[in-house]
Amino acid sequence: MDLAFSEEQEMLQKSARDFLTSKCPKTLVRAMEEDERGYSPDLWREMAELGWMGLPFPEKYDGGGLGFLDLVVLLEEMGRACLPGPFLSTVVLGGMPILEWGSEDQRRYFLPRICKGEAILTLAVTEPSARYDAASIRTTATADGHDYIISGTKLFVPDAHVADWIICVTRTAQASNPEEGITLVIIDAKSPGISTVLLSTIAGDKQCELTLDKVRVPRKNMLGKPGQGWEMVKRIMEWAALAKSAEMVGGNQQVMEMTVKYAKERVQFGRPIGSFQVIQHYIADMSIDVDSARITLYKAAWKLTEGLPCSKEISVIKGWINDAYRRVATQAHQIHGAIGFTKEHDLELYFRRAKAGEVLFGDTDFHREIVAQQLGL
Amino acid sequence: MDFRLTAEEEAFRQEVEEFIREVLPAGWLGIDPGPEEEEREEVYRLSVEIWRKLGAKGWIGLNWPREWGGQESPAKDWILKQELIYHGAPGMDIAATQGDLIVQFGTQEQKKRFLPPIARGEVKYAIGMSEPNVGSDMFSLQLKAEEKDDCYVFNGQKIWNSGIHRADWCVVYARTDPNAAKKHHGISVFIVDPRSPGITMRRITQMTGLGAFCEVFYDDVRVPKENLLGQKNKGKDVSMYAFTIERSYGLVILHNARRYFDQLVEYCKETSINGEPLARDPLIRNRLAELAIEIEVGRNMGERINWMTGQGMLTVVPSCQNKIHGARVAQKLGSLGMQILGLYGQLDEKSKWAKLGGRMRHMYLSSRAWSLAGGTSEMSRNIISGPFGLGLPS
Repeated sequence: MDLAFSEEQEMLQKSARDFLTSKCPKTLVRAMEEDERGYSPDLWREMAELGWMGLPFPEKYDGGGLGFLDLVVLLEEMGRACLPGPFLSTVVLGGMPILEWGSEDQRRYFLPRICKGEAILTLAVTEPSARYDAASIRTTATADGHDYIISGTKLFVPDAHVADWIICVTRTAQASNPEEGITLVIIDAKSPGISTVLLSTIAGDKQCELTLDKVRVPRKNMLGKPGQGWEMVKRIMEWAALAKSAEMVGGNQQVMEMTVKYAKERVQFGRPIGSFQVIQHYIADMSIDVDSARITLYKAAWKLTEGLPCSKEISVIKGWINDAYRRVATQAHQIHGAIGFTKEHDLELYFRRAKAGEVLFGDTDFHREIVAQQLGL
Repeated sequence: MDFRLTAEEEAFRQEVEEFIREVLPAGWLGIDPGPEEEEREEVYRLSVEIWRKLGAKGWIGLNWPREWGGQESPAKDWILKQELIYHGAPGMDIAATQGDLIVQFGTQEQKKRFLPPIARGEVKYAIGMSEPNVGSDMFSLQLKAEEKDDCYVFNGQKIWNSGIHRADWCVVYARTDPNAAKKHHGISVFIVDPRSPGITMRRITQMTGLGAFCEVFYDDVRVPKENLLGQKNKGKDVSMYAFTIERSYGLVILHNARRYFDQLVEYCKETSINGEPLARDPLIRNRLAELAIEIEVGRNMGERINWMTGQGMLTVVPSCQNKIHGARVAQKLGSLGMQILGLYGQLDEKSKWAKLGGRMRHMYLSSRAWSLAGGTSEMSRNIISGPFGLGLPS
């Protein structure tokens, strides 16, 4: 057993933290919540130069050739910094499925562009039912010669308004089993018939309503095999849940550190409030949620990296961090008092992101159900 | 990173599993770790038998130096304990951890005298720490030990000493300097024969119905000087070390809880209400999964603690974290189990109507102790937030 980071992972963590501390101040985070695009193209380019977008992709596609565990190290730092932008969408929702199931042509086209920061991708799964299940997929793709004609409404699609390409989960056949007849298609976001409306979300991240009105897409843009898309979606959702968990673990850690610091400095009744046992015990409980989640995250990421079965481990971490981060952020607010309740303090950024992270890529009940199935219930 | 056991460790784990299958009677539902359940006669007999067999295997003190029959392998020692606990096998006596103390603090003479009988699985130990007025505030203990001729003369009282009425030895914490400037400075530790003249005991029945606790009275009890463990008045060092060897307590609780959990899951699969298995009930699925997640998270914390220990890192804080978590999970499991069993949950193992052998009822009661024994959850929170942990001001 070896539960330490490798030297490279230590360096990645440190360099990412240093970079984001200087390049992603909270002023930028707040500005991007208000900004239409929601990210800084300059920062995006610098991240690409550091090799971040290419981190999990093989070197032959201009990537860094690293594993998911390394990506997790980076995502933790992004969550700690509240980094805004389409990183998770592009790399995890867009690039990784193309690497896994794309044709060699698709890989050669998309992956180097992703690695260089030249292409933004995302995945459109959920529809107005707002559920991550196959029966909810109503968007249709109808074959027409060499093309598909795609129509439907997708909701809560991250970063679709800035995406160059959207992997769209469509229904190509009606079957008694809703998991059959689903096909993934890579759509040029500038195609006629596509429109996006930005949703105003609790975390100020950029999620969209995506309307597809008879969008014509060449059939060669299909990703993987026709009708077998749901298995792919399930895998992508696992990666996304794990990636989101990593961001949340990073945010959770930051909230904890902010709160310890505040409790040591804030004086009431002539003494730091951190000297009061009630505050100490609140914080001790927070530390359990923080530290337990981190090792649980690494266990799942390590299994995924090693190619071991990890559906249960991913649902364990997402099901746990959903609750743990919310508990920690809630308790942090209680300890910070009025200042934490304001936009002049960073804490509220994390509190809002904790809730957004909780519902994205499977809320707690969703992941508990997966664990229940793994228990054979 | 690598979460795997080494091939040797995995082979040992399988060997242990096989051993446990052989020594446990068919249909064994398991018991809690610790001496409490040895109050049931059949458990006691099995416990003595397995303890001997563990000795014969050379598996007691796997973490000890080779000189004393160990393999210097904390990993294997833990694998053995974990499997015994998960399967609810009796046998692993308190003597094993008290042997750890003797390895660390004993003189060569003491090691020669006390360690081999432990390693052979021949002797049982108890611990004498708490007193009527000494719970969490353990350094204020009052049991007096006065140096006189070749002995220390004990006067005073201990309480909550589990299993001492059946123990061959008890590791007792006593005050040897009542005038020490600081209360934690005048304490010493002794290996005491519980059958010494002047010792009387009163059994106290726990709320589980088991008479495992003892109140122990010391009335001019003569304890030979050569039974002093560690230096006189330096008992604090021994007690701090004793706490560090209890670092896996949270994991002990969790592995024990895991057995009850697996039994409950099976029960929900096999039991139908109005033709529908409990396992299909969305609420039951959700709450079982919630616990499965919490158990898994606790095991991950525990793996980290064991790894850190192997690396020689301080584990005070994660151990306290895992102890709080483990106790919480075990108690929640007890509550859920009792809720699912409903009216049946009331019955003990003697009833022909009992479900899961009446074990859930036992666990619901016994799990109250998990957030108390080995340091209360509140004391653990103090340690996490204090100078060894987050450094919050006092």
